[in-house]
Amino acid sequence: MPEHARVTPDPLDRAALEKLVRTPADGAVVVFEGVIRDHDHGAGVASLDYRAHPDAEAFLTRIVDETAAATGVRLAAAHRIGHLAIGDTALVAVAASAHRAEAFAACARLVEAIKAGVPIWKRQHLDGGATEWVGLTE
Amino acid sequence: MTVARSIEVRYFAAAADAAGREEETIALPAAATVGGLRAALLERYGAPMERALRTGSFLVDGVVSRDDARPLGDRVDVLPPFAGG
Repeated sequence: MPEHARVTPDPLDRAALEKLVRTPADGAVVVFEGVIRDHDHGAGVASLDYRAHPDAEAFLTRIVDETAAATGVRLAAAHRIGHLAIGDTALVAVAASAHRAEAFAACARLVEAIKAGVPIWKRQHLDGGATEWVGLTE
Repeated sequence: MTVARSIEVRYFAAAADAAGREEETIALPAAATVGGLRAALLERYGAPMERALRTGSFLVDGVVSRDDARPLGDRVDVLPPFAGG
């Protein structure tokens, strides 16, 4: 089980992820947290349910490793699944490098790659009781 | 169309809602492709499946594909658009 790329129903441990990638040579540690917000496309959001494909962690691992190899920046990421409330953290991505520019860029690249390439879905519970799968076009 | 083999199909998220199930076996021709499965699913499950598949993909032999010409193995997963993060 790769520690630096996890898909888990448990609350995410940001400090543990940071510890995995930080070295004494790093002058920059960039952490992104994706957080459940209370609105989307103008509608109020009450909560979210995340579902993952059984192989989601393998997809995440490959994306973290490929992005780390392409950028030369140490990276780790974890995605939470299950029922999440407003303010909960769904995604943590951490980048550590000697200088900040590479760390910012690698962290952003990793987050975009995760959103595009890991088979995870979320069902949004809107204020008023309606539910919808996020990402379907009308 | 000669029915030549059975394919195990798993549905996820919006595709599972559209199909009303999480898996089933579908009979397709021996030379079945992603495009052939797509057509069969649209015929069975109509507009809700069309919406799930429009920007979705298929997991075939470990590879995420939107290529209608891609041949199917014995198992395929139907993946609506990813929405992680």
